[in-house]
Amino acid sequence: MTDVGRVDRILVGVGSALRIFLREPAQLAVLLALPVIVIEGYGYAMTAFPEFPFMRMNVETIGRLSGAIYASAFLPGVMGLFQVISAVQADERLRLCGYDRFELFLVRLATVAAVSLAVAAVSLAVLARTVTVEAPAIAFGALAAAALAYGLIGMLVGAALPRALEGSLVLVFLVDADDFLSSGMVEIDSRLVELFPLYHPHELFQSAVEGTFADGAALATGAYLLVLLSIAALVYVRLTDSRGVLHA
Amino acid sequence: MRSLDRIGRAFEMGLYEYARTPVLLGLLLFLPAYFIGMFAYVLPASEMPITVPGDGRQLVATADLYGVLLVPLLAGLIGGIAGLFLMQTAREADARLVRAGYRPSQVIAARFALLVVASVVATAVALAVLSVTFVPESPAAFVAASVLAGLIYGLVGVLAGLVAGRLAGVYTMLFVPMLDVFFLQNPTVENRLWIAPYLPGHAVTELAADAGFSTDVALAPFAEGLGMLFVAAVLATAAFYRTARVR
Repeated sequence: MTDVGRVDRILVGVGSALRIFLREPAQLAVLLALPVIVIEGYGYAMTAFPEFPFMRMNVETIGRLSGAIYASAFLPGVMGLFQVISAVQADERLRLCGYDRFELFLVRLATVAAVSLAVAAVSLAVLARTVTVEAPAIAFGALAAAALAYGLIGMLVGAALPRALEGSLVLVFLVDADDFLSSGMVEIDSRLVELFPLYHPHELFQSAVEGTFADGAALATGAYLLVLLSIAALVYVRLTDSRGVLHA
Repeated sequence: MRSLDRIGRAFEMGLYEYARTPVLLGLLLFLPAYFIGMFAYVLPASEMPITVPGDGRQLVATADLYGVLLVPLLAGLIGGIAGLFLMQTAREADARLVRAGYRPSQVIAARFALLVVASVVATAVALAVLSVTFVPESPAAFVAASVLAGLIYGLVGVLAGLVAGRLAGVYTMLFVPMLDVFFLQNPTVENRLWIAPYLPGHAVTELAADAGFSTDVALAPFAEGLGMLFVAAVLATAAFYRTARVR
């Protein structure tokens, strides 16, 4: 197989997956409506909160920023999960057509990445209506990184636990603990939270909104993504083997 | 009697279905333990002022406050996801049961009993983990609040499954209980937003906070919680009836 053939096959796969996503009006509505609901909902909910000395910004802004990260991260997370779970039969057919397992992983990854970029852009646009973002390019990068991190986690969960109920339960618990404890809304007494997927993107995003660049957070975010990417690739390729969990 | 037998059999089959998936049972035990254990570990012992319906203004440890909020939240999350998938996965099987002679109300009763089990299990595990660091002042009222939270959100999950579909449904059940219980009903907030009293988590969070930090539990939130359960049950039953009936 030539390299051009391989690239073509991947592009066809990504195009098909995106068309499947986009031809469901409900999913498209979710992509557009949820960032608005989550960002405004968090901002609104925080208006009644008292301000505490550990908070870095005013409570409403913290709420909106947290909402933007949440909205960006978790749609790709849920999508990554269902992509992997629902793609078992389709991937089996694609393998019969000549795709290898790594190409299939790239197709799923590229689809999740495309949705991640789209949802990060929508979230940033919604946020920018009410909050001045001093460094929009870095802010977009932080949102896209948060989105991709959870897209990969969703794929991992889907590969290891290929059942919708169990996978959703795991994702819900990971998501909610991570978002709340990484957001800066509560005082934290441990460095353990620095291991959470959203901790460094949150730091980077807050610094971008303030107009500074948290290079340590950027580096940690990049390293985190690299590790997640490697693990997800390994797990996906292994588990989609003919005797793997996906075929159980 | 025959009707009760049918409900019991459908409930039993539903339980078998879940019992056959040990991963799910493991997750039901592990996830609440992880969630509460993590919060208890990372949150500080510093104190925060809160408003407790039965006891007025109090100073409580941050870790204790969020521990108390976590139990109904966990029950709500697990109940919500269970309700969502109950609607999503059982639709065809339930329609077959109706064709085989079940009345939709009997199927609904069996499914509701499964939600009760999910809420009780979630509450028991969460409370067991919480009790390592904090024991509520009024445990019985606290358990009632948490089980009610699981049931109310379980029925909200049933509705979400019917109205929103799987992707949007999971997203809704991931986002709404958290925003409701942790943010809009948070007892650190003195003047709640106008929308707070109309949300599913209002009465149960108030009851849980009250039971967590006071021995003199106000009864009004309990009655309100039952009212919210009734409203959610009527809406979910109507929606479920529409789906499960013979067309």
